[in-house]
Amino acid sequence: MNIKILDSWLREFLQAKATPKQISQNLSLTSVSIERIQAYKKDFIYDIEVTTNRPDLASVSGIAREASAVLPQFGIDAKYTPPSLSKPKDIKEKTKVTIVNDKTIVNRVCAVAMEVTVKPPPDKITERLLTSDIRSLNNLIDITNYVMRTIGHPTHVFDLDKIGKQTVIIRPSKKGEKIKTLDKKEYILPGGDIIAEDGNGEIIDLLGIMGLANSVVSESTKRILFFLDNNNPSHLRKTSMTLGIRSDAVALNEKGVDPELAMDAFLFGIDLYKKFADAKIISEIIDIYPNKPRLKTISVSKEKIDAVIGIPVSLKTSLEILGNLGFKTKTSGKNIFVIVPSYREKDIAIEEDLIEEIARVYGYHNIPSVLPKISVPKTPALEKNEFFWERRFKEALKYWGFTETYTYSMVSEDLYEGPIEQAVTIKNPLSTDWIYMRKTLVPSLLSVLKENSNRDEVKLFELANVYTKKEHDLPKETLSLAGVIRKPSLSFFEVKGIIEQLLHNAGIDNLSFKKSDSVPGADILIGTAHTGSIEVLDDEVVNFELNFEEIVTHATLKKIYKPIYKYPPVIEDIAIIISEDVPTNEIREEILKQSSLIEDVSLLDTFENTRTFHILYQNPEKNLTSKDIEPIRTKILAALTEKFGAKLKE
Amino acid sequence: MEEALINIKNTALSFILETDDPKNLEEIKLQFLGRGGKLTLAIKEITRLPQEKRREVGMLANEVKQTIENTISERLQKLTQKKHISLSKKLDVTNPGAKPPLGHLHLVTQAIEEITYIFEHIGFSRVRYPEIEWDYYAFTALNFPKDHPARDDWETFFIKEETNPKMGEILLTPHTSSGQVREMQKKQLPIKMLNIAKCYRRQSDVSHTPMFHQFEGLVMGKDISISHLKGTLDYFVKSYFGEKRQFRIRPYHFQFTEPSFEVDVTCGVCLGKGCKLCKAGWLEMGGAGMVHPNVLKFGGIDSKEFTGFAFGWGVERVLMMKEGIEIDDLRLLYSNKLEFLEQF
Repeated sequence: MNIKILDSWLREFLQAKATPKQISQNLSLTSVSIERIQAYKKDFIYDIEVTTNRPDLASVSGIAREASAVLPQFGIDAKYTPPSLSKPKDIKEKTKVTIVNDKTIVNRVCAVAMEVTVKPPPDKITERLLTSDIRSLNNLIDITNYVMRTIGHPTHVFDLDKIGKQTVIIRPSKKGEKIKTLDKKEYILPGGDIIAEDGNGEIIDLLGIMGLANSVVSESTKRILFFLDNNNPSHLRKTSMTLGIRSDAVALNEKGVDPELAMDAFLFGIDLYKKFADAKIISEIIDIYPNKPRLKTISVSKEKIDAVIGIPVSLKTSLEILGNLGFKTKTSGKNIFVIVPSYREKDIAIEEDLIEEIARVYGYHNIPSVLPKISVPKTPALEKNEFFWERRFKEALKYWGFTETYTYSMVSEDLYEGPIEQAVTIKNPLSTDWIYMRKTLVPSLLSVLKENSNRDEVKLFELANVYTKKEHDLPKETLSLAGVIRKPSLSFFEVKGIIEQLLHNAGIDNLSFKKSDSVPGADILIGTAHTGSIEVLDDEVVNFELNFEEIVTHATLKKIYKPIYKYPPVIEDIAIIISEDVPTNEIREEILKQSSLIEDVSLLDTFENTRTFHILYQNPEKNLTSKDIEPIRTKILAALTEKFGAKLKE
Repeated sequence: MEEALINIKNTALSFILETDDPKNLEEIKLQFLGRGGKLTLAIKEITRLPQEKRREVGMLANEVKQTIENTISERLQKLTQKKHISLSKKLDVTNPGAKPPLGHLHLVTQAIEEITYIFEHIGFSRVRYPEIEWDYYAFTALNFPKDHPARDDWETFFIKEETNPKMGEILLTPHTSSGQVREMQKKQLPIKMLNIAKCYRRQSDVSHTPMFHQFEGLVMGKDISISHLKGTLDYFVKSYFGEKRQFRIRPYHFQFTEPSFEVDVTCGVCLGKGCKLCKAGWLEMGGAGMVHPNVLKFGGIDSKEFTGFAFGWGVERVLMMKEGIEIDDLRLLYSNKLEFLEQF
């Protein structure tokens, strides 16, 4: 949470010869981050980010105390003057107030009844609240906010005459109970919320979050009940988030405020009511305090401090830092023992917490930067490194004109492929567009294609995980590489060629393509392992998806040298007439089988029922002549005729 | 004989001067000066001449040879020059080039590659852990209390699946830190891991996308200190953002580190002076800290013997902090408009 406070307000509690800029820089480095300083009239406003573990710093006095501890490290003398507080004396107990607490949900309650006059608050208070981004309403309400910002404990004020039996009974709410908050909004409670009723069964407060309309002070209020409650934080957060009510009070309360602070805030508030609302105390001062924090002792050794920080810090410096921060310290040899102050009770529990306190005030900027000199024991083979192959595949596609996309892993029902009941499903989706964890990438790519319909030619790819449900276990995550091409009169073979080259570039050549049964396209196999598929959607769009993990298991960096032939090859093209049902690959393999002198066979051209093959003959030992080739050619033709009924095209 | 030589010379010169093709010059050279060339054959005849004439004729033959060679080379030079001039005349270098295909890697991939390169250079190894993970690894083992806000339904995505009594619910990892304890459980110390992965949080607005990427570093060994964390940060910041950018660490709070830090880098626009885009000269990069002893315990590592530091930062975040990429709506990164993707 962020709080804004005026420099002049801070200096009521902090005596330090430091400019606002020095305060801001030095606190940012060692304590809370002061994100901005803004000039305001002759003053300055600090905008401070308070982390969740330090609710003790969400107040002017808290910041002053912290500043007094850290500024001396920068050579600036600083002193903290706590707010002056005293027990009120002139009490006339004219009326009786009854408080019934539930200690499982509330740690401490302080309350007192007062007769008051409603009037505008003094300018100083109004100005301080406004610069703090808190609205100014009237003196009765403003004082509660002023106390909260000064001391750091939220407070509340009821119109005593609106509380039925002058009784406040604290209890957890039941599900379905209704309330109307002081901003006139109605809510139905989820149950387990901390509420108070007035003895007549009417709910008069949503404790720690916001007051209710039925008990709020107004211009005509004569008597108030000034009320402080220190609550169990987890209840508050749940209520606040479920109902969507966020207030400064709940932001503070949900972090766990020090109950010891409640009395300070209480006394400070009473004093302000006396000064600015002509208050007279008319009831006993109530302080119900069942859950007092136990102060704990923690120890840490100098050796450990030095080891974590990385350089030696003297015992004296450590003790001084901890002392300034409010810890009571003792030493024994090179060990430090501290008693943790109540306002740090939730935050400080182990020796590492103390090291943090010492290190930050010592100054992280004073610690040298050194690269760790450790080497990692295992050295895996590069060709087993999937990240290496990822890069190689992505680069190849990039240089072939593909654009890489990143689409969301979670998809709508429309984009989910496969039976929806087997989908990995998000229990609390942000929208129905993002509800299932995808099983394939292609639908996402096709939707990108659709969004870019103004382009005739598009080549896209994505490498991302896809997810398969497993019973009672984490889903299986598999890296998948998918691509889609849109182009006028696009052929299947353009995509096939890309896949062949892509895999060849990873040392994989034992590929085969099997015609798919369901859609026009092919299944892709490496050896016998199914590795992916190509799908022809129409004569403009073809997509592919490959199991990248499977690819990585086959990918290799092995290189084999073959001697370069001394003699030139003989190249011959043979055109044959053959049934279209015979796959080219079978013809090719049949030809290759006929002689060891055939180095390579490739399909050169297809026209109607004629296919022309390009045959490369090679003898490493000698120059081949047409006399050597002739018998092989005859053999090839005989084999093709016998096996496939092929004929030589004359 | 002399006459024959003069004749050879004249014939050769007329051929040479008549041709416009450099290839013909090669042929002419062969025809006259080659092994069976006219001049070569004529020179062989010289031995048959009487002794007293040989010297004189020999000198003449040499001169003829020299003249032919020189003329060829002069002619060649002239022809080449002529060709260059005519080629040059036709060449308009401002016409467009014939470009090979060049696609585009996504900005996030480019950032991941840069980050990987930098950390690999100082000995980090990339790892990968589940994106859909048990609550145990994402929260419990990272020292998150049961009622921590991050575990709320409105911050983290949960998967519809039975809760496991030991591991808890299944969720989409809200941070890459969920890999920390898995890495420790491998029992291969020391550790220098870099985990870059998709993360998910229930937020979608101009500065948040429900899916994003983080990179997580974890270093663990004997005597690993804050000083080492600073050294690593320094190396990254200078490599990734350039030497002009400074960094600082300041106190912060995280459940799984103690001490915890927030890391700031000076603003790329004002370089630390303070401007509209930054907070008093600084931009927040992300969190870091010394691994909490409770986390070490969950990882089965003795915190008395080993210490470690960890950091986890948004890939998109550091990308946006680079100069020149001030994207006003982060969701654009995942909208996959080609007009956007093709810019990078």
